[in-house]
Amino acid sequence: MVSPLIAEPAQWTPEQLAAELDDGVFVWCTPSVREAAAALLSHPVSLEPPQDAKGFHTLVAIGGGTLLDQAKVLRRTAFPSLRLITVPSIWGSGAEVSSIAVLNVEGRKDIQIDAALTPNIYVHMEALTATIPEARAVWACGDVLAHALEGAFSPLASGEVRAELAHVLQQVSQLPLGKDARWFAVSAAACRGQAKSGVGLVHGFAHSLEGPLQTLWPDGDIGHARLCATFLWPVMAFNRSRANKWDLLMEEYGLDGADLFARLQGLYEDAIYEAARPLIVEGWRRILRDPCTRTNSVLVRPEHLTFFQERQFR
Amino acid sequence: MVNNEKLKKLIVDVFLLEEDEFSFGLTKREIGTWDSLGTVSLAVGVQETFGYHFKPEEALAINSVKDVITILESHGIAFDR
Repeated sequence: MVSPLIAEPAQWTPEQLAAELDDGVFVWCTPSVREAAAALLSHPVSLEPPQDAKGFHTLVAIGGGTLLDQAKVLRRTAFPSLRLITVPSIWGSGAEVSSIAVLNVEGRKDIQIDAALTPNIYVHMEALTATIPEARAVWACGDVLAHALEGAFSPLASGEVRAELAHVLQQVSQLPLGKDARWFAVSAAACRGQAKSGVGLVHGFAHSLEGPLQTLWPDGDIGHARLCATFLWPVMAFNRSRANKWDLLMEEYGLDGADLFARLQGLYEDAIYEAARPLIVEGWRRILRDPCTRTNSVLVRPEHLTFFQERQFR
Repeated sequence: MVNNEKLKKLIVDVFLLEEDEFSFGLTKREIGTWDSLGTVSLAVGVQETFGYHFKPEEALAINSVKDVITILESHGIAFDR
C-alpha cells in the first residue's frame, strides 16, 4: 500500500500524541533525548529504527533534522503504510514539516524532494528544549535565519512567500538567540516558506564545506547549523555589496535591518571561517556549481572568490 | 564594456565555461550546465547586468544565447550583430 501524498502535515499537541501511544506505535529517537523522551511519553523508546512494520501502525521519530529525514526516507522506501509523526528535538531544519530530506552520503549531501516524504503529523514538545546544549541552540537559530533570509531573497520567491518570510523575520526579531522554545514554531514557518522558494549561497557553502571540514576537524562539532550560522554574515554582506534587495525588503516590511545584520554578525565564528577559507579557495568551482548557490539572490561569479578569500565582509 | 562583451562574460560566468567555449551561436543543448537552475542564474545575471527582468514565459522560452539577445533587443538593449 502506498501512503497518500500529504500536502502539509497536521500539528498535534504533546497531549494529543500521548493519547495515541498504544502498542502499535514505534518510537525511534536520537540518543541525546532518549531519557527525556521516555519520561515525557511513558512509552518504550528505541535508539534504532524499526526493522519491520509488523504490528505497528505509527512511527514516531524524535530527534534533530538528520534523524527526522532518515525516518522520512525510511517510511517512504520501506514502510509506506505507516503513519509518520515527527517530533523535532531542536529547531532549525524544519524537517518535521517538509517534503525535503537531506541525507549525508559519503561526505556529500543527497537532497531528496518528494511529497511522499512529508510527515503525516508533527508535534512541538517544548520540554525537549532543556536537552539542547546552549551553543547548539544558538547555531540552530542561525539555521532558521538562513532559511528565512535566503527564502525571502530567493529569485524564486513570489510576493506572497516574501511577505510570509518577512513575517517570520519580524517574529525572529523578538526572540533571543539561544534556548527558547518559541523557535520551534518560527523554524517550521521559515522552512514552509523557504520550501516554496529556494535557498542560496549560505547553504551552498554549508553543503559543500561540511564534509571536508569534518574530515579536517573531526572533533570540531561542525554541522550544518553551525556552518549556516557562520556564513550568514559574510554572504549577506556579499549580497548587499551587489544589490539593494536587503534594504528594500527591510523597508517594505518595517524590519530593523541594522539590528538583524548585527545579529548575523553575532553568529559568526572566525575560527570556523578561517578553517574553511583554504577549502573555499580549493573548492570554489564546486561551490559555484552547488544547486543552492545557483539560486542565490545575486549572481555568484568566479571572480567573487576574492570577496570571501580576502574576507571583505569585515 | 559593450553589451556583447557583457553578455559573453555573463554566459561564461553563469555556465562556468572556458572563454574559448563561448560563441554567440551557443544553444542550451550544447551547454551541459544549462539546466533549469542555470536559467534562474541567467535571469538573475541579466537583471544585474542589463537591468531587465525576464517574464516567466520569456525565461522558459530561452534556448540559446541568440534568444537572450532577441528578448533584450526587443526591450531596447542594443547588441552589435
